[in-house]
Amino acid sequence: MELYVAALGFGLVSMSVIAIAAVGFTMQFGITNMINLAYGEVMISSAYVAYYLNKAGISIWIGMVGGALFGAVFSFLLNRIVYAPFLRKGTSHIGMVIVSLAVSLMMANVLLPIVGYYSVSYQDTTGGLLRAGGIVLTTNQIVIIGLAVVLMLGIHGLLRYTRLGKAMRATAANPTLARNCGIPTQRVVDAVWLITGALCGLAGVIAAMNSDSFAIANGAGFLITALAAAVLGGAGQSYGAMIGAVIIGIVTELSAAAWAPEYKEVVAFGILVAVMVLRPQGLLAKRGALAAAG
Amino acid sequence: MKFQTAASRRWIAIRAIPVAGLLLLAACGASNTPTGGGLGSGDLLVGVIAPFTGADAGLGPAYYAACLAAAPSINSNGGVGGRQIKCQQFDTRGEPADAVPAANQMIASNSNLMAVVGCTSDEAATVAPIIDRAHIPMFCMTGQSEFNKTNLKYFHRLVPADVYDAFAMVGSALYGPNHAPYKNAALVFGDDIGSQAFVDPATKAFTKLGGKIAINQPIKLGASSYRTEVAAMLKSNPDVILTEALGSAGTYLKEVKTQNGGKMIPFIGTSATIDPTWFQQVRDAIGIDDLLKYYAGVDLGYTFTGTAYSEFLTNLNAAASTFADAPKYKQRGSTLHLYDGIIMTALAMVATNSSDRTVYNPKIIEIANGTNGATVVNTYKDGVAALKAGKSIRFVGAGGENNFDQYNNSQSGYILVAYDKDGNEVTAGKLTPDQTAKLIAAGG
Repeated sequence: MELYVAALGFGLVSMSVIAIAAVGFTMQFGITNMINLAYGEVMISSAYVAYYLNKAGISIWIGMVGGALFGAVFSFLLNRIVYAPFLRKGTSHIGMVIVSLAVSLMMANVLLPIVGYYSVSYQDTTGGLLRAGGIVLTTNQIVIIGLAVVLMLGIHGLLRYTRLGKAMRATAANPTLARNCGIPTQRVVDAVWLITGALCGLAGVIAAMNSDSFAIANGAGFLITALAAAVLGGAGQSYGAMIGAVIIGIVTELSAAAWAPEYKEVVAFGILVAVMVLRPQGLLAKRGALAAAG
Repeated sequence: MKFQTAASRRWIAIRAIPVAGLLLLAACGASNTPTGGGLGSGDLLVGVIAPFTGADAGLGPAYYAACLAAAPSINSNGGVGGRQIKCQQFDTRGEPADAVPAANQMIASNSNLMAVVGCTSDEAATVAPIIDRAHIPMFCMTGQSEFNKTNLKYFHRLVPADVYDAFAMVGSALYGPNHAPYKNAALVFGDDIGSQAFVDPATKAFTKLGGKIAINQPIKLGASSYRTEVAAMLKSNPDVILTEALGSAGTYLKEVKTQNGGKMIPFIGTSATIDPTWFQQVRDAIGIDDLLKYYAGVDLGYTFTGTAYSEFLTNLNAAASTFADAPKYKQRGSTLHLYDGIIMTALAMVATNSSDRTVYNPKIIEIANGTNGATVVNTYKDGVAALKAGKSIRFVGAGGENNFDQYNNSQSGYILVAYDKDGNEVTAGKLTPDQTAKLIAAGG
């Protein structure tokens, strides 16, 4: 029993890391209608930005801000320089997916000779160990959970109560109508890439901290987990992504405790498949949400 | 009924031109394909087929470094009958599904392959038969037991089977220096084919010699964290961890330290953990002090001295201009062995005066094992000189003597090792013949 309680605590950490990544990914898709498969590579690139800052003697918490800034600027430029021209030419959805896959592969291969194939670690990122009722977490893990909660509340506040958030939702629902109503949709899209890029960068640094040791090859893994949580929750649904992250994070850790740990991701993705069979639109999205985003 | 008109005959003639052209090109291409006599002309290629990306991405560079060091040793001494050696990477990503097309592409696009090196346990079972069918000598870094009695004529293995690596780890746990015998072991091995090969022999040997397996924990390589796995492992209270989880060692061991209140548990690694990439990863994760204090490894008994090793080291350092990390592999066993394998292949070509792989392949083992009265040589230059003088040779290279059996497996003994603060291997102890015999008997 003690192990299950501990696993539940670890699940909270995993859930927090996944949530930040998945919400950024799903917002990007929900508002810009772009399935950005380069998301994982932007995450790992941001993790390396923080690594080099950390290596230069800068605190990892400041490095995290550096990673988020990198993610924001890089994602913004990626859209402006690569994706937007293709979209203007009327490239199909599947075509854009292939373009983003190509970007992902190019990034991985460009990064490889720069950062090397070996794993690296941030310095002094563990923090003290705290135990409470069978749950064992480090102070840094608690900070990560807290950060995720603050970010989720911030995203909720942004979408619900701000002019920008309302413009984002309008653009997501019907970009043509939004434009005709006077909403500067291009600027909204730019803002979305900056915000989701920052979330992506932040998630990359946090995921790398969470792993203790990371390498360029981890980018693909980051993407798959974020993608799974986003799809589970309902593509394009920020709150759905949060719920998806909770399920995947907790189930992964509990299944590692209950069953063979090498299959923990199989269990999580098995649940994803089961949900997709029973509710193809995901947990929160309405039927046709994917199409409506266009 | 259709009649063949003049126009249709011209059309047939026109269509025949490209066909003839293709036949001509094929004929020209065939001139590069090794045939019976002579060493031929043009560059020769050594294919390095191994993981260069993915969880086991640390393996490929060690093998590539071997080729980069061997090439100048041959090229600066006249090449193979004037032919220069080149090295090329073929990435398997450590996955059989990616390895098969990589092997096929390597063979289809390079008629000048003189040898293939690499083929780790991740992909050897799938690529070795393909390479064998193409009649290309290969030197594989796999310890899988299915190759213990292989019928593949072009397969060569310069390292012992994994069972011996596993026995040596158990020997380190039970008879290693500076600690009382460990009696309660956690087996933490990656879920890949190569790592799992250690589990069964280690379990058998350890339990039959009085030890207990506290937990056998296959872990998913490349996972983002191992918190629950480590909690379960710590709950089983092991006094030692036997491990090979390449690519994930840093993440796992850091978690051990974190959850164990900042204190490590002794851990014993396979010979694959004697690797600069592994050293850096674990050092960065748990700190150099804990790595030096709690790590023990096993390795083949290299001396890292002598003429062959000196030349290897010089060439390896020079290879930094092509591959900056090359010098890091100065004590990596697989790098030493594959370097030797490439040089032995080149010497076999010179000895048979043939670039026909079916002709020089059998000569490789003869040069490695030597025959009665063979002159021992340590470098390619000396080997070529001895061959030209009409002598038979035995090549003893940077990795030491080779003794191939009838299944093309070369065996040698293990030593117990540790790291120094710079990542160099240091000998910590040796297993006595009696201890070795006990381990082998217990492990079956």
